[in-house]
Amino acid sequence: MNKRATFSNSWLAAALLLPQLLLVFIFFYWPSGEALWWSFTLERPFGGGNEWVGFYNYLSVLQDSRYWGSVRVSVIFAIAASALSILLALMLAVFVDRRMRGHQILKTGFFLPYALAAPAVGLAFRFIFAPDAGLIAGINRVFPGLWNPALDGNDALTLIILAQAWSLVGYNFIFFLAGLQSIPRALLEAGAMDGAGPLRRVWDLQLPLLAPTLFFLLVINITDSFVNSFGIVDIVTSGGPARATELMVYKVYTDGFQGKDSSLAATQSVILMVLIMALTFVQFRFIERKVHYN
Amino acid sequence: MIERTPVFDAIVQVLLVLSFVALLLPFWVVLVAASHDFHTVNQVPMPLLPGRHLFENLATAWEKGNFSRVMVNSLIVAIAVTAGKIALAAISAFAIVYFDFRLKKLAFWAIFITLMLPLEVRIVPTYSVAADVLAPFEAILNLTGLSVDLPQWSLLNSYSGLVLPLVATATGTFLYRQFFMTVPDELAEAARMDGSGPLRFFWDILLPLSRANMIALATIMFVFAWNQYLWPLLIITDQANFATATMQLQKVVPNGVWGEPPVWNTAMAANLIVLFPPVLVTLLLQRWFVRGLISAEK
Amino acid sequence: MKPYILGAISCSLLALASAANANDRIKFDFWHGLTGQLGEVVERQCALFNGSQTEYEVTCTGQGGYDMAEQNTIAAFRAGEQPTIVQMYEIGTVNFMLSGAIYPANQFAKDHGLDIDWSAYFPGIANYYATSTGEMWSFPYNSSTAVFYWNKDAWAKIGKDHAPQTWDELGADLAAMKEAGIECGFAFDYDAWMNLEQFSAVNALPVATMDNGYGGLGAEVTFHETPFVDHMQRYKDWVDQGFARVQTQQTGKSLVQAFADGTCASMVHTIGNHSVIKDTQVDGLNWDVTLMPVIDVDNRHNSIVGGAALWVLQGKSPEEYKAAAAFLAYVTGAETGERYMVENTGYIPVTLPGFELLKNSGFYEQDRFRGREVAIASLTASDVTPLTRGIRLGNHIAIRNEIRTAMETFLSGKADVKTAVTEAAERSNQTLRRFEQTYRGAELP
Repeated sequence: MNKRATFSNSWLAAALLLPQLLLVFIFFYWPSGEALWWSFTLERPFGGGNEWVGFYNYLSVLQDSRYWGSVRVSVIFAIAASALSILLALMLAVFVDRRMRGHQILKTGFFLPYALAAPAVGLAFRFIFAPDAGLIAGINRVFPGLWNPALDGNDALTLIILAQAWSLVGYNFIFFLAGLQSIPRALLEAGAMDGAGPLRRVWDLQLPLLAPTLFFLLVINITDSFVNSFGIVDIVTSGGPARATELMVYKVYTDGFQGKDSSLAATQSVILMVLIMALTFVQFRFIERKVHYN
Repeated sequence: MIERTPVFDAIVQVLLVLSFVALLLPFWVVLVAASHDFHTVNQVPMPLLPGRHLFENLATAWEKGNFSRVMVNSLIVAIAVTAGKIALAAISAFAIVYFDFRLKKLAFWAIFITLMLPLEVRIVPTYSVAADVLAPFEAILNLTGLSVDLPQWSLLNSYSGLVLPLVATATGTFLYRQFFMTVPDELAEAARMDGSGPLRFFWDILLPLSRANMIALATIMFVFAWNQYLWPLLIITDQANFATATMQLQKVVPNGVWGEPPVWNTAMAANLIVLFPPVLVTLLLQRWFVRGLISAEK
Repeated sequence: MKPYILGAISCSLLALASAANANDRIKFDFWHGLTGQLGEVVERQCALFNGSQTEYEVTCTGQGGYDMAEQNTIAAFRAGEQPTIVQMYEIGTVNFMLSGAIYPANQFAKDHGLDIDWSAYFPGIANYYATSTGEMWSFPYNSSTAVFYWNKDAWAKIGKDHAPQTWDELGADLAAMKEAGIECGFAFDYDAWMNLEQFSAVNALPVATMDNGYGGLGAEVTFHETPFVDHMQRYKDWVDQGFARVQTQQTGKSLVQAFADGTCASMVHTIGNHSVIKDTQVDGLNWDVTLMPVIDVDNRHNSIVGGAALWVLQGKSPEEYKAAAAFLAYVTGAETGERYMVENTGYIPVTLPGFELLKNSGFYEQDRFRGREVAIASLTASDVTPLTRGIRLGNHIAIRNEIRTAMETFLSGKADVKTAVTEAAERSNQTLRRFEQTYRGAELP
């Protein structure tokens, strides 16, 4: 964050930040604070009597080998899904930006996945990927047993990665397109005059200028894959088979939201938050350095 | 088109169409499911081609979900969230990028961290706050020894309850921060030389420049607000007056409770109805995309 | 004045009058957890109640599922905004009983002059929602139990005209069916309610110590030491031998779909799906329901209930309770409650008089509903014993998930049956100890 030219009116800055910080305080920090306090107690669902237990909750989570399995799966999931959806969206945005025939229709089409509500996504994915009834059943007829997310953990993980990447493509696409549109046309034309082919121009001209957007999307995608993916897991695999797709946040969801163990859920949320913060920190520290803002 | 590259263009065209098909396949499944009768939609595998009951299913879903009433609520909420979020995000990012003050990093991270804890985890205490917004301040004042009794201000069953908690997240601030960082420093310098204040610079220079980003953000935020499910379902018990469109899905979408008729045809028709406004908004907003581009080319 | 203006004026006057009328009514909230068409049935029942009298008005709000209804009730209760009545699924019983938020049903009925004959409830249902001393804390609402669905044509192919009574007999039938070229004689999924809980009840096997948890929060699960393990081994062998198949939504067809389209010849499932199969089956599917197979026919016990009950919450005004009492009288009435629910859904009557009323009116002789009385036979197959009252374990959902994990583990060959089930039991016990500690000092009623 090193802008040279800045203003120094602190009161104005405070006034500009106040509304956002106020809302964040009321609707995020205050309630989250209470939820996080539960991680050091055993909280009853309906309240009334909660006992201070120190790090008991943390120990029972961190000593569970199954929990580490879920950490592993979450990391693979987040990285694979983010990479896949960002690459695909970038490719699509660059192509659409060339504005060939039909690009208007394509544009809307690429965004649609993001707008589709969760129940519809689940039904569709089940229909496409079910091993003995879906569209993919044809593959299984040729190679029996090749694809079976109901019993094979790796297949199931692949399936939720695809689903998550699919649902994020529209989101990424929109921002990439916006980023590309901010690049002055003249710059690209100059590049073309110099004899740079379309791919060369993407690499040399557009990508560096898109870097801030790319960085934004990277951070958001990874965070989102860690934090908001339980809907997809719930609908597509319910964490199975044999916990192979039990992401950290899905465990938070089943323990807290379904099992009503608020303390266990709060503990895992803290661990999840620490992990994402560390990852985000790494991204800001090492990846953002390579981003040239102007 | 900048230059002619027919072979490359052909490859691109094929790739685009393939991706288009892959990305829209699930959407097609929804459309097909919405166009069959109850019996056909429950066959395994379901047919690949649409049937002839689409309008009938849409009509049923429309009536069951009371959509003529709730669409208005959703529209109000989604527009309010979008506008509020863009406004807050822009000014807070402006403060963070263009002002020099000690706590600026802290402010950024304080906003940013809100991305990291899903609502499901904090739903119980968040509900408490929504039921009594001033309670945190009362608690803090009481801590400092001042015993005060602030009135109870409840957001349950209100538009503000649907809007305010959603406005308080970080995506927009982060996006604007990224964009403002790319704006050449010379512009701000020039503004300072001209003697125009920060607000004038923000309004006259930064905002017009950020139009493409603003439209992208508006599109995303509109859909985000439109698709909210859990929170509205929790705080709206006066469903006759405040129900949103997505909430109505629970009235038509089977939830896997045993013995529940799997009326997926009506359910998917309802999904199509709920999907329609965001798609329309996207189309409208994208027209602006193109216009912005043309004026930039001149 | 033109006639339509007159009309408009009288219309709005009418509207005003009825609005005033509506405002005079005592209103109260009822939250339910049903969605889709079942949710519609509940909401229509609310509307019928509102139309049946002019003093009270119930506002019914669907919460989008049982788990969300429970979560939302917790959030609302903690903020003092709870509804007067909430519908809660059977496994939420422990949390509600320990919550301190409940106005127990029997006490409520006494306080508000509700004329309810508690002994009329089928014991298999009543005991599930009763405390260890037999006091009912909630009003049974939508209920079901597990039965055996079988395809008569498939059995005809092996020359039999009756369904198997025992698991051994089913095993022999499946072998014969395989010989006869039937690819899927039996299907199952990973559901603990059918595979563990109902199985244990009808065979009078314990799921946990201390009367399946009724005796207190110190209970431990013991299903890894009962014939449940052999039962799971049987499932595994059947799959390996090609007698049976796993059918879940992840494999493409749920159990119900696989049975209704004739792919699989039998399954154990809730009676609630009787109507779903009637509506979705392929033409000409010749099927029936009967009692679940047991290990030993001479030792058949009652099955247990599934579904949900209505709970009254603490902290509402006397007027609201008065209104709630009227509503509860309405929805527990044999005609306005039980009959309405049974006719419009796949659920079963919950009292003997309710059942008699339906039976005498010829309900079970209609083709659409024939066979559904088997559920009652199953619930009343024996006197209720300490092992067949129900299951009362903390964080029941987590235990059910452990069963699913165990089944997925041994079916994919990652561990043998005994190991997988034992691990499920150990983990379940850790969950139970945690629950016990959370409620230290509290007594399960």
